Amino acid sequence: MSQAEIVDALLAVIGRPGATDAEFEAVALRVFAYQFTHNAPYRRFAQQRGRTPLTVRRWRDIPAVPIKAFKDLTLSCCPPDAAERVFMTSGTTGSGHGRSYHPTLAVYDASMLSGFAARIMRGRERIRMGILFPDEAALPNSSLAHYLALAKDRFGTPDSAVFVGPGGLDLDALLAALSEAEASGEPTALLGATYAFVPVMDALAAQGRRFALPPGSFLFDTGGFKGQSREIEPDAFYDALSEAFGVPRESCLNMYGMTELSTQFYDDGNAVCPPVKSGPHWIRSRVVDPLTGADVPEGETGVLVHHDLAHFNSVSAILTEDAGVIVPGGFRLLGRVEGSASRGCSVAVAEFLAAAQG
Amino acid sequence: MSAVEQAGHLPDIFSEAVGRRVVEHRAWGETVAVALPDLSDAQASALCAHVRTRARETLRRMETARIVAAIDRASACLLDRAHPLRRKAEALLPVVTGYDRETVRLGLTSYLKTFRKPQLLRFLAEDFSNPGVLDGFQPAVKGGLVRARGPDLLLHVWAGNVPALPLWSLVAGLLVKAGTVGKLASAEPLTAGWFAHLIAEADPELGECLAITWWKGGAGGAEAAYLTAADCVMAYGGNDTLAALRAKLPVTTRFLPHGHRIGFAMVGREALDSRRAGPLAQLAAHDMVRYEQQGCYAPQMLFVERGGATAPDEFARHLAHALAALASRHPRRRLDQAESSAIAAWRSGHEMRALDGCASLLGDPADPWSVVLLDRPATLSPSGLNRSLAVVAVDDLAEVPALVAPHRAYLQTAGIAAAPARLVALADDLAAVGVTRISAIGRMTAPEAGWHHDGRFSLLDLVTVTEIEAGAEAAAEGFAPYAD
Repeated sequence: MSQAEIVDALLAVIGRPGATDAEFEAVALRVFAYQFTHNAPYRRFAQQRGRTPLTVRRWRDIPAVPIKAFKDLTLSCCPPDAAERVFMTSGTTGSGHGRSYHPTLAVYDASMLSGFAARIMRGRERIRMGILFPDEAALPNSSLAHYLALAKDRFGTPDSAVFVGPGGLDLDALLAALSEAEASGEPTALLGATYAFVPVMDALAAQGRRFALPPGSFLFDTGGFKGQSREIEPDAFYDALSEAFGVPRESCLNMYGMTELSTQFYDDGNAVCPPVKSGPHWIRSRVVDPLTGADVPEGETGVLVHHDLAHFNSVSAILTEDAGVIVPGGFRLLGRVEGSASRGCSVAVAEFLAAAQG
Repeated sequence: MSAVEQAGHLPDIFSEAVGRRVVEHRAWGETVAVALPDLSDAQASALCAHVRTRARETLRRMETARIVAAIDRASACLLDRAHPLRRKAEALLPVVTGYDRETVRLGLTSYLKTFRKPQLLRFLAEDFSNPGVLDGFQPAVKGGLVRARGPDLLLHVWAGNVPALPLWSLVAGLLVKAGTVGKLASAEPLTAGWFAHLIAEADPELGECLAITWWKGGAGGAEAAYLTAADCVMAYGGNDTLAALRAKLPVTTRFLPHGHRIGFAMVGREALDSRRAGPLAQLAAHDMVRYEQQGCYAPQMLFVERGGATAPDEFARHLAHALAALASRHPRRRLDQAESSAIAAWRSGHEMRALDGCASLLGDPADPWSVVLLDRPATLSPSGLNRSLAVVAVDDLAEVPALVAPHRAYLQTAGIAAAPARLVALADDLAAVGVTRISAIGRMTAPEAGWHHDGRFSLLDLVTVTEIEAGAEAAAEGFAPYAD
């Protein structure tokens, strides 16, 4: 199957309203065959596990690549320099950057727009947006910068703006825009990295200011704190967000995505943490025992594996470092899986790495 | 097991009114509830004052021989498999620590054997050319007189789940007559308290100078009371824990930290003939299985020299076979998610390397052990623990010191199988990069009596000496009633 054929097939899948188990499986197996043929490191990985298109009959048996592998290996079906875009991880954990090669952004964009429309816009055409993240020109290898640019162009009103420039966050402009939104009564959305909200809330607290954004406004955060701001527990974070901007926690939406995927997961607000996350019909998730890769019994905690058909050029099945549990309607995200420290007095990997990085 | 096990040991006057914090431990399908003593700030201060006073008034006057006798009797009780406490230890420790029953039973015996009278005397002789300095002034080699005193109040902060490990420092403190307050490790909160009970039974006066308790770390309150009261703190744990602890201590308090360590093993080609390789792999497997590589002395990497009759890859297969065989006698308990993830991350890292053909993974991810064979020299790095290890092929064992040198701060034990002349030559190079203990393979997790933990003098580090200079002694002669 050629790249053009797989792209057409995926665009068709994304365009449909849903997918049965059998439909998802059929496409997953085709995409696996495509990746097995064209992505040499993935092929060797799959062979090492004894999984080939000839032996794999269920999508759950398609071997999932540990997310770390995106740092060590070039996982691409097209020649890497033929990629239209390369998205790279920010590299806040460990060394090196994970890379995802996109020969075309057609599938990524279709996936993003469809998901965003369904889960964030929910029938609304456009909304005034304030973006708390650098734009694509500043961060051309950031999938989030591209994602937010798409959101703003396609779903933002013309007076939407990016408030993070070369000099960092333009707090004055942001506060002016928020005041204006508050006065106008028009719903407004603030979208950005989770950590970007922290200095805004701190500044508001320091000034003794609070906003009451008009009904219909929402806040959108993603990615966690990544050491870029102080860490805040989820409940405290959403309480503080809600308090600072006058937006109920039900309207504080969190997107769970990663550079190593082309599709995002959403919740329906953070009234209760952790909320149920789910994605569209072309991505499915499993919860596995990290050691054996086998599905854990339903309701048990394990490590999340995401199977994203839209991530066609790289690897569709990835083993994350996120703990989760499958629940009706999706999964709950339970934070990162950390390798344990030893129970005794031997050095475990985490302490060793920390020391090695000084 | 429904009863709550009361952990720790407090002098009689404190045993009634203290708070308890109950923690449940589960393994092997059983649950054990342990009630840790949890004293208020005021009680903690009073406890420290009590131990300090009793130590000054009674322990100081005890002959070392009397303390040795009491420790010897306590060890004898725990070595007696019919003794109620030994029976309790064999029943509860597997559930609390997660180690299999055989490992616990054998480990307890092997530890306690090192705390009998002859071994204790050796322990003393190892650090003091004349242990009499602990009882009074003794002639010094350079002239004059010298005596050694342990701290009035020695605080132990134990960590980790290796059964009975706290006994090393507990015994060291008592031998130098230190009033002792120990903090139980949450992961093995029982043995130290039992041992203290037995000492108190053997010698009630000594028992009054000894308290084994617990407090919540990092929470201020009682912790501050303990830390400010101590003259000397001997602490175990990761570097973060140790740094936090050190930051809370007055600058005048002696701090003796024992951080986490990594062990490794080396096998020379002379040990790799067809007769020796199999048994040697079994011994190495024992070192991995005993305490599941949680102890600082356990091997996490094994360097195997090329050129022997048994090649490194064949040795790796012997090792895998030995681990598989041990799994039935010493089953690995069910790992929690973080532990599985640690092994999974370690395996998958090597799996990526295997794609380039310079690593191979033995066994299935679902096996209760993991061996990776690395075909090229690799610097020392931790394994995923819980029976996971990388076998590294090297052309010459002489390359190994350079491969471990970058991690000097974490080195401790090296298990070596090599001929005598090479053993000494390698040991010399390893000592230069920070290795402090060389053991036989198969004995890595069982240090001998009187060993120097982390290369330190366990007893000497605790004491302060007072010297009467030769000049003072001579001058005193001038003031004697019999002076001319």
